[in-house]
Amino acid sequence: MKKADKVAYDKDYAASKKNGKPFFPYAIYKDTIIAGLAILAVIVLAITVRAEVGEPVNPATTDFIPRPEWYFYFAFELLKIFANQNALTPVIMATFMVPNILIILLVIWPFIDRGPERRIWKRPFALGTAVLVTTGLCYLTFIGATTPEGVAKGETLPLTGLDAAATTGEALYLANGCSSCHMIKGVGAPGPGPELTNEGAKGWDNAKMVQWLKAPLAPMPSFASLPPEDLDNLATFLNGLGTKYK
Amino acid sequence: MTTKDIGPKNPVEQGVAQAADYVDERSGVKNSGRWLMFRNIPAGTSWFQTLGFTAMALFGMQAITGIILAMYYKPDPNTAFGSIAHITNEVTWGWMVRGMHKWGASAMIVIVFLHMGRVFIWGAYKYPRELTWVTGAMLLMMTMMMGLTGYLLVWDQKAYWATVVAVNIFASAPILGPYIGDILRAGPEFGPDTLSRFYSIHMLLIPGGIATFIGLHLYFIIRLGISEPPWAKRALRVQRDEEDARRKAARNRDAGLKGSVSFPPAVVTDGQEVSR
Repeated sequence: MKKADKVAYDKDYAASKKNGKPFFPYAIYKDTIIAGLAILAVIVLAITVRAEVGEPVNPATTDFIPRPEWYFYFAFELLKIFANQNALTPVIMATFMVPNILIILLVIWPFIDRGPERRIWKRPFALGTAVLVTTGLCYLTFIGATTPEGVAKGETLPLTGLDAAATTGEALYLANGCSSCHMIKGVGAPGPGPELTNEGAKGWDNAKMVQWLKAPLAPMPSFASLPPEDLDNLATFLNGLGTKYK
Repeated sequence: MTTKDIGPKNPVEQGVAQAADYVDERSGVKNSGRWLMFRNIPAGTSWFQTLGFTAMALFGMQAITGIILAMYYKPDPNTAFGSIAHITNEVTWGWMVRGMHKWGASAMIVIVFLHMGRVFIWGAYKYPRELTWVTGAMLLMMTMMMGLTGYLLVWDQKAYWATVVAVNIFASAPILGPYIGDILRAGPEFGPDTLSRFYSIHMLLIPGGIATFIGLHLYFIIRLGISEPPWAKRALRVQRDEEDARRKAARNRDAGLKGSVSFPPAVVTDGQEVSR
């Protein structure tokens, strides 16, 4: 803003303050009503939708559904968008680039949009940015709230040609919550992890897959707590996907 | 002395008055309080401008319910889950306090985003309120971090594994990521100290930061005054300039229609027309 604009604004604001109303009670009564309504809404929600007691933590069992609170769904869905690229893309894009760009934009925004104009319809760039970011966040939050969380109990994978080791591997795959982040032939959540239908096409051996399961790339958690024979069966199953087991 | 002092006075009233005078003599609180409460704000101040106060009120509610929960909660991996069940099922009104804290977190996120939206749409972050916005942005991020750290404290399967994934995300960032991950986890793995670390961050570190930044935010708001709605009746300078330009164009058009008559051009200085 140019010096003249600043001076003009200060003059305008001083005049409007001079012809204004006292903070008490004119602002206070509105504040009190809205804050009171907000707290009332919280109390009503606390009574009608009770906070539940879930299942106690057991780091040894991995039959989990890693879902964040609803206000982090957008970040979670962002991971899914980049899930089927190569391994590093989701990490770089969804967990680093996009959030940091948003944070930086948020903090420095007043130093980007500096003109004297305050009416939103005369600030097309600001309006466009607001519409874009708001739509994006709302859309991702909505998707996060409505997508299925994985497979239902008793559901199996539509695979053929499974041998003994692979059948055990499939059971482990389903029991350990893999399907709450990965999809095989349309079964399971479509992310944040990549689809595994053709995982065997990579041509990994079991040792490499076991190593991956123990120390995977973030955000996938480690499965090092599983017994060695379970990890081996899981690796056999995964390495045959799309090649032996279709 | 004023006429109020005439006549006998109730000794309690007298004592209170004396104590108030004593404090005021040393703090000047009467004058500054009067100034704070009765300072003028623009007449057009709108209902949309109540969201900041509402966010602050919700933070106060979170602080109070949080203090009550901390009286029963045990930040230890072996007893945390049990203490949550105890609060929910046995403590008098415990389910209510926990429910309010849980829903209050969601309400605070919603209100903080609406508040930001209002400031953005109104262009209220423009001169001279840029730094008010920056402190507000910090408050927004700290509010989100409260949600993240508080989620783990419930210590159930869903919260645990969601937080494992969330911390993995932080740890995967280049350069500083691994260090941030280690700091959050209190080591390379989720361990016994992770829960108490999240507890400390959730109830000491971030609330301290939020309180500090609310103080800064309020300082700026009180010093600079609350912004005026952009549709306020009293036109701003940019609008006046538009009006002037329109009038000038109309006059020039009229002058053009008259043709032969040479018209002295209007001189515009800082939105004020001076005809020669």
